[in-house]
Amino acid sequence: MIETQWITPINTMMLASISILLYPLMADTLFKTSMKMQARTAVKYAFFSTLATLIMFINLGMEINTTHINLISSTNFNVGLSFKFDYFTLMFCPTALFVTWSIMDFAKWYMAHDQEVNKFFKYLLIFLLAMLTLVSSNNLFQLFIGWEGVGIMSFLLIGWWRTRGEANTASMQAIIYNRLGDIGFILTLAWTGTNVASWELDQLFMLKPFDTLPLLALVLAAAAKSAQFGMHPWLLGAMEGPTPVSALLHSSTMVVAGIFLLIRLHPMMEDNELTRTTCLLLGAISTFMTAMCALTQNDIKKIIALSTASQLGLMMTTIGLNQPNLAFLHMCLHAFFKSKLFICSGIISHNLSNEQDIRKMGGIHKTMPITSSCFTIGNLALAGIPFMTGFYSKDAIIETMNSSTLNLGALLLTMAATVMTAAYTTRLIFLVQTGPPRHYPMQKITEDKTLSNAILRLSLGSIAIGPISAMTLDQTQTLPTTVTTLIKLSALGATMMGIFVSLIFIHKNKQNRPQKNNLSTFSNMLTFYSSLTHRSPTTHLLKKAQKVSTTLNDATWYEYSVPKFFSKTQLKMSKALSFLAQGKVKTYLAVFTMSLMTLIILTT
Amino acid sequence: MPTILFNLGLAFMTSMMGLSLQRSHLISALLCLEGMMLTLFLMLTTWATEQQSSLLFSALMMLLTLSACGAGTGLSLLVTTTRTHGSSNMNNLNLLQC
Repeated sequence: MIETQWITPINTMMLASISILLYPLMADTLFKTSMKMQARTAVKYAFFSTLATLIMFINLGMEINTTHINLISSTNFNVGLSFKFDYFTLMFCPTALFVTWSIMDFAKWYMAHDQEVNKFFKYLLIFLLAMLTLVSSNNLFQLFIGWEGVGIMSFLLIGWWRTRGEANTASMQAIIYNRLGDIGFILTLAWTGTNVASWELDQLFMLKPFDTLPLLALVLAAAAKSAQFGMHPWLLGAMEGPTPVSALLHSSTMVVAGIFLLIRLHPMMEDNELTRTTCLLLGAISTFMTAMCALTQNDIKKIIALSTASQLGLMMTTIGLNQPNLAFLHMCLHAFFKSKLFICSGIISHNLSNEQDIRKMGGIHKTMPITSSCFTIGNLALAGIPFMTGFYSKDAIIETMNSSTLNLGALLLTMAATVMTAAYTTRLIFLVQTGPPRHYPMQKITEDKTLSNAILRLSLGSIAIGPISAMTLDQTQTLPTTVTTLIKLSALGATMMGIFVSLIFIHKNKQNRPQKNNLSTFSNMLTFYSSLTHRSPTTHLLKKAQKVSTTLNDATWYEYSVPKFFSKTQLKMSKALSFLAQGKVKTYLAVFTMSLMTLIILTT
Repeated sequence: MPTILFNLGLAFMTSMMGLSLQRSHLISALLCLEGMMLTLFLMLTTWATEQQSSLLFSALMMLLTLSACGAGTGLSLLVTTTRTHGSSNMNNLNLLQC
């Protein structure tokens, strides 16, 4: 009972949204001023277009794959431009565009005094197009195009203030870590290209069971892009970029590209136990370690970045539990409140003359009421307070984990991470907003109307989208329906415990004495990961490389082995022989004696 | 007979070694040269006695005369080198430079 008359509208509106986004990029050069469209307006129209497709999808449950052009066509290998508009794409695109709409409103206010503000918006639009290419592609090649696109735009946007040394270092770090993951992606592309002879997702899913090698390579790619534990430093360094960049790229869209890849390619992974266990443990470790680090940070953007990494670890764990739909739901719902948190932190810090240290903020809830209430709502949604948006996905994940047979370590790490999430969100709420103001006096604090509308829209999303999506979207995988009371309340209990413990400590440490014990230093220095891994392996590697290339290759093979060797030996020999030509009498006497004796001996 | 030849040959060899291995004094080298000439004279004498030919005796006398002339030349060379180099060290003698 598929009504084929709906294919055209869904296709058209999706592709129209991509074209709408292209328009501001080209209009500046092609048309006169009157026909220019602002980036923000384009994103708004694109959002409504994709919202229409989402509503059509919810009504009909129809997914569409289209193939347009053949880029490479050989005898058995065709790579073309093909789109896949299924549940994941159609749900993700409106979410991303909604979030981007609010971020563009915020960016207009935040970057108002920047000289290259038009270029900034164009970069954000190009990023958005790359992301949409990534989520709507039906073959791995097009996905890789989007993957690389978001990586490059992340590089350009993190290093936006390019005269700042830390920004340049951070963007290089982001590119290097993403490149490590691209190794895995290219390995998968090569493996599937040679063994399956196709990069289309439909054809890949028909071939089961898969080898472990391409799947682990995919997990590597996702781990690097989504900042799992071994490859998380770039996400923290990426906070050097302007706050709209952090809000768009590093909270909602780019970092979830890795998770999205795993969700899309989940049919390949569901039989392979090694891959699932890897995902599970990797996710559990990264959520625990990043949440632990977020407890003692003092920079507001770093705390929110670490909370993003923690939630990404939670999504990875869910994929390891064979629940990609839950991971995807958490991804979409997380986008709302995380971007709102970043926007609110940007408003607060911009109003306080770019102060990002939470020990120097306070009393915001009287001076910036709308921002602080939206900040509180975002934090509560992140902690998973019942019936906010975060609750619907997070609680479902923890319930699923509690009622499935999995690694006990992963379970305990995730529960501990939930406690710590609640703790640091409470700390954020209290230290940033309450108490006497600890910032510099005489600040000009304003709350723009469009800005307030943007974060109020996102707050509406943070509260309402959870129930709406839980009620309207059919879950294609069965979730546990009956659990005991204790397990049902375990997530809630963990959250409450985190909040209460954090409140106790906040009340106790009102004097804000600096703490110095080993665990707090370990957590504050981000488990010393960067200090350990960034200097010594690279130094050794570069030294070895220098030894091989300069000493072995250049010096030895090109200098010592042939030219210098010959010259040295020839020099010795010629020195020995030139002795004879110096005219000393003893030489002649010796020659005379030698030849005479030889003759005598020979003749007798 | 072979004993005499062996003795004389050994004397010749020894004088030759003394001539070629001399490093410090030119006089000693000249002495060894004279020693070589003397052994040659004695060998020629022995051979002439064997061959019972009187023509060889005149050659013998010529050898002796020429050896004396050679000795005289050698001594004059010694005097010249002592004049120019200051001493008669064999290490100082260089054919490329007087």
